[in-house]
Amino acid sequence: MQPMIIILKDGTDSSQGKSQVLSNISACQAVTEAIRTTLGPRGMDKLIVDGRGKATISNDGATILKLLEIIHPAARTLVDIAKSQDAEVGDGTTSVVLLTGEILKNARTFIEDGMHPTIIIRAIRKATALATKKVKEIAVHIKMDNIKEQRALLEKCARTTLSSKLIARQRDFFSKMVVDSVLMLDELLPLNMIGMKKVTGGSLEESRLVAGVAFKKTFSYAGFEMQQKKYLKPKIALLNIELELKAERDNAEIRLDNVAEYQKIVDAEWSILYNKLEKLHASGVNVVLSKLPIGDVATQYFADRDMFCAGRVQEDDLRRTQKACGGAIITTIENLDDKVQQVFGTCELFEETQIGSERYNFFTGCPKAKTATMILRGGADQFIDEVERSLHDAIMIVRRAVKNDSIVAGGGAIEMALSRTLRDFSRTIPGKEQLIIAAYAKAFEVIPRQLCENAGFDATNILNKLRQKHAENNIWFGVDIMNEDVTDNFIAAVWEPAVVKINAITAASEAACLILSVDETIKVPKSSAEPSNAAKAMNMV
Amino acid sequence: MPSVGTLAFDEFGRPVLILRGQESKKRLFGIEAHKSHILAGKAVADTLKTSLGPRGMDKCMVSPDGDITITNDGATILSMMHVENEIGKLLVQLSKSQDDEIGDGTTGVVVLAGALLEQAEALLDKGIHPIRIADGYELAAKVALDHLDKIAESYPLDLKNLDPLVNTAMTTLGSKIINRCQRQMAEIAVNAIMNVVDMERRDVNFELIKVQGKVGGRLEDTMLVKGVVVDKTFAHPQMPKEVRNAKIAILTCPFEPPKPKTKHKLDITNVEDYKKLREYEKEKFTEMIKSIKDAGANLVICQWGFDDEANHLLLSQELPAVRWVGGPEIELIAIATGGRIVPRFQELTADKLGFAGHVYELDFGTTSEHMLCIEQCKKSNTCTIFVRGGNKMVVEEAKRALHDALCVVRNLVRDNRIVYGGGACEISCAIEVAKEANKIATIEQYAIRAFADALESVPLALAENSGYSPIKTVADVKSAQIAQNNPSLGIDCLNTGTNDMKSQLVIETLIGKRQQISLATQLVRMILKIDDIRLPGESEE
Repeated sequence: MQPMIIILKDGTDSSQGKSQVLSNISACQAVTEAIRTTLGPRGMDKLIVDGRGKATISNDGATILKLLEIIHPAARTLVDIAKSQDAEVGDGTTSVVLLTGEILKNARTFIEDGMHPTIIIRAIRKATALATKKVKEIAVHIKMDNIKEQRALLEKCARTTLSSKLIARQRDFFSKMVVDSVLMLDELLPLNMIGMKKVTGGSLEESRLVAGVAFKKTFSYAGFEMQQKKYLKPKIALLNIELELKAERDNAEIRLDNVAEYQKIVDAEWSILYNKLEKLHASGVNVVLSKLPIGDVATQYFADRDMFCAGRVQEDDLRRTQKACGGAIITTIENLDDKVQQVFGTCELFEETQIGSERYNFFTGCPKAKTATMILRGGADQFIDEVERSLHDAIMIVRRAVKNDSIVAGGGAIEMALSRTLRDFSRTIPGKEQLIIAAYAKAFEVIPRQLCENAGFDATNILNKLRQKHAENNIWFGVDIMNEDVTDNFIAAVWEPAVVKINAITAASEAACLILSVDETIKVPKSSAEPSNAAKAMNMV
Repeated sequence: MPSVGTLAFDEFGRPVLILRGQESKKRLFGIEAHKSHILAGKAVADTLKTSLGPRGMDKCMVSPDGDITITNDGATILSMMHVENEIGKLLVQLSKSQDDEIGDGTTGVVVLAGALLEQAEALLDKGIHPIRIADGYELAAKVALDHLDKIAESYPLDLKNLDPLVNTAMTTLGSKIINRCQRQMAEIAVNAIMNVVDMERRDVNFELIKVQGKVGGRLEDTMLVKGVVVDKTFAHPQMPKEVRNAKIAILTCPFEPPKPKTKHKLDITNVEDYKKLREYEKEKFTEMIKSIKDAGANLVICQWGFDDEANHLLLSQELPAVRWVGGPEIELIAIATGGRIVPRFQELTADKLGFAGHVYELDFGTTSEHMLCIEQCKKSNTCTIFVRGGNKMVVEEAKRALHDALCVVRNLVRDNRIVYGGGACEISCAIEVAKEANKIATIEQYAIRAFADALESVPLALAENSGYSPIKTVADVKSAQIAQNNPSLGIDCLNTGTNDMKSQLVIETLIGKRQQISLATQLVRMILKIDDIRLPGESEE
C-alpha cells in the first residue's frame, strides 16, 4: 500500500479530466440560458434586484451578466467576453454569449466521444478565421462621400440596435437623435463628449438633444434667484476655487492678545474672498462655474453685479463645458489679465430652463469642440436607466459605423450565410476536423433560432426556409420578425456594422477555446474566511 | 421549473455553483413573472381607484412617526404607502412623474396603467406574446392621442376674462376636500398665476408663488397676498407693528461683531482689555446701525439672529427689524421688493434697498401668533397664497389641492387646448380606438381592443365612486356619444342632470391627458417586457 502524499492544502477542491471540461460546459450553458430570451426585437427584459434592493431592468446582456454575480470560474469567462464586447463595440453582448454557449454545446458531444480538446480547438480556430474572412468578403461597403447616404446608413444601424430595446417603438425618433449626436462630434468621436442627463417625468418623445452642454442646476444659496438667467455670448470662467468665507487652514489657530487686531483678522478674511470676487468681476466674466462650492456671500456678490454662478458643478460636466466652450479650468485667480484671455470660454447662448420639475443650465452654440447632450425623459427611473443603456449601445454602433463603412444584414442573415459557407467548406476536408467545423457551422444557427423562439415562431420551420434560401445564394435572407417569415434583411434595412460581427465571432470562439482547453480546476479554499471568523470571535469576547 | 438556468449538475450529480448565494436567490420566470407583475400593478391601482373623481374618497396615512396625512392626491398617497414590490414602485414613480410634469391627474394615470395590465392578463391567457401586446398598446395609444388632438378645443386665454381658467381650476379642485369653497380657491389659483405669468415665453415661474399655511380660521379665510408672507414677527415687541413705505435692508450677515472663521482664541489678561473688548463690540453695533441708517433704510430683514443688545439698540434707533428669516424667503423678499441681498454692512448703499408700500403684522384670532405681510412691493409679481383651515390635515391637503390647481392653470397658459373631463374624452378615445382595431389585420388587433376597454376604466371608476351602476352608466354615455357624435358627454358625477361636460364646465387640459396616456402605455410596455425576475434571498444575518 502506497502512503498517501498530500500535496495541496487541506480542503482544496480539485477536479480534473474529461468530467471537468464537461462540467464547465454545463455551467456555461446555464449562464447562456439566463440571457437567452433577451435576444432580438421580441426579446424580453430581466428585472434583477441586487443585495441592496436596487432594481435594474435591462435587456443588455453585459449588464445582466454583471448583475447576476456569477462565481463559477468557467462561467465567468462568459461575463468577461460580454464585457469586452461591450467595451469594444458596445452592442451584440447577448449574441456573443449565446454563440459561445452554442459552440460549447456542439463541442460537448465530441468531448464525450473522447476526442481530444486540442483537436477541437484547432478546428475552431480554423473555422473562425474562415468565418471572419467570409464576413469581410460579403460585407457591403457604403460610400461615405455622400453625406446623405452616410446618414441613412447610420440611422439604419442605430435602428437595428434599438429595435430589440425597450424603446423599439420610438426607434425612428431615437435613431435620428443618436446619429445627430454622433455627427456633432469631431473626428475622434470621443464618447465622453456626449452627455446623457435623465429627468423623470414626461414621455419618451419629449427627450431632446442639445447641441452643447446641459446640466442640472446646482445647489444654490439665497441670492441665486436674482441672478440673470440668460446671456448672449457670455464670458465663462471655469474655476477650481472655493468662493466661500471660511477658515483658510483647517487646524490653524490664531491667538490674539489685542482687541484691535480682531478687526484686522476679520478684514483679512473678507479681503481674501473679496479679492477673488473682484478679480473675477474685473475680468468681465458673466458666468462663473466652479467645481467647489460657491458660498452665499459670493452668490450675492455676483447677483449684485449681474453675473451668474453655479458651485459644485460635477467634474465631468465642467470638463465638457471646458472642452465645448474653450478656456481652462482655473485654479488661481491671479493672472486673469486681458493678455491671457484664453482662460475664459464662451458660447452663443447660456440659459437656464425648466425641464419637468428640474432646472437645467444650457450652453449652446459652443465654438470650440463639438459636444452634445441628450436629455432623456420617461416615466420611471429604471425606465430611463434602460433607455440610457440602449442609447449607449446605439451610439457605440453608430461610432463604429462612422469609422467603418462596411455593413452586413442582421436578423440572423449573416449567421446563416456563415453557417452555410462553413458547412460547405467542411465537406472538403478529410479527417476529424470535418465534423467539428460542421458543428461550428451549426452553432451559428443559434442566433436565428433564438430570434424565432423569442418571438414564438416555429423555429425549425423558419430555419429550414432560411437554409433553402441560402442554398440558393440569397445571402441576406434572415428572419422577418414582423410577419413570421423570412425576408431579405438587406432590403429590409436591418443592418449591422461588420466589425460588430467580426468581433463577436472572434470573441466567442476564443472564449470557447479557452473553456475547452481547461482540464483541471484547483480551487483554493477561502483562507480569509477563518481569520475573519476568529476576529469576530475575538470581538465577541 | 422556476430555477432553470441557475442550477447545473455535473455528471456525478453534484450541483455546480454558478451564482453567488444561488440557493437563497428567488427567481420568477416566464408567464409566472408576468402574472406576478400584473397582480402587483393591479393591487396598487385598486388602492387608488376609489379616490378618483369628485365623489372619490380620501385616504388616511399614518407615517411611522405617527404623522397623519389625509389626501386623495394619487402621487402623495403612493409615495406615503412605501410600496415594497418592484413593479409597485414603478407605478409609484409613474404617478410621481405625472406630478412633476403636469401636476394633476396622478390618480388617473395609475388607474389607467392598472387597467392596461389587467387587460394584458387576459390576453396573455389567450397565449399572445407579451411584446405583441405592448406593440398593440402603443399603436392604440397613438390612435388615442391623435384622436385627442382632434377633439381638443382651443380655449380662449384672455387676461381680462379669467372665467374659463377658473372653470378649469374648479374641475381639478372638484375632487379635493376643499371643494366647499371651490370657486374661491380656483380664483385664487388663477389670480396667482396671472400675477406671475410671463405671457411672452408662455411660462410660469413657480418659485414666485409661495403657498403658506396656518392652522386656524376657516378655509374661506384663505387669501392671496400680492407680496410675501413670512412666518416671523418683528424682533422686539415694542417695535411698530406696521411700516408704510418701507425701505428694506436685506441682510445676510449676523448682527454681531464679525468673527473670523479661522479658529481663534482671544487672550484677555487684564480688566482693561476686557473693557476694550466691550467697547469694541458696542462700537461695532453702533457702526452697523449707523450704516443702515445712512443708507436710508427704515426696516431691516436679517437672515441671522441678533442678540438682545443689538435688538435694544435697533429699537432705540427706531429701526424695526425682523430676524431669522430663511434663505428662500430672503430671496423672495429681495425679488419682490427689488432690493439686493447684502452680505456685508460695508456694502450697504441706498440703491440696494428694497421697497414695499406696506409691511404689517397679521394677527390670528385669540392666539398670540403673528405673521409678517409685505405688500405693495416694487415688483409685484411675487405672491403668496395664505391657506387657513381648521386643522393641520386640512391645511396640508388644501395646499396640495392648490398646487394641483396652479399646475393646471399653468398648463393652460402653456398650451391652451382642452378636452372635456368626467370620463368624456376617455370614452370618446375608447370608441375611436375600438373602431381602429377592426382595421388591423394582425394579432395586435386584440391588444388594441383591450386598450379601448382599459380606457373605459376611468369613467367606470368615476361612475362607481359616484354611486351609479358603473356598467350601465358608461354604456349609456357611450351609446349617447355615438348617437349624437358628441365627444363631450361624460359621467354626471354630481347628479346635475346633464351628461354634457361642456355645459357642466368640466374641463381638463389636453397635455395632461396626453401625458397620462403616453406615460401609462410606456410603463406598461416596460412591465410586459420583463419575463425574469431575480431577487436576492433573505439576508443570512
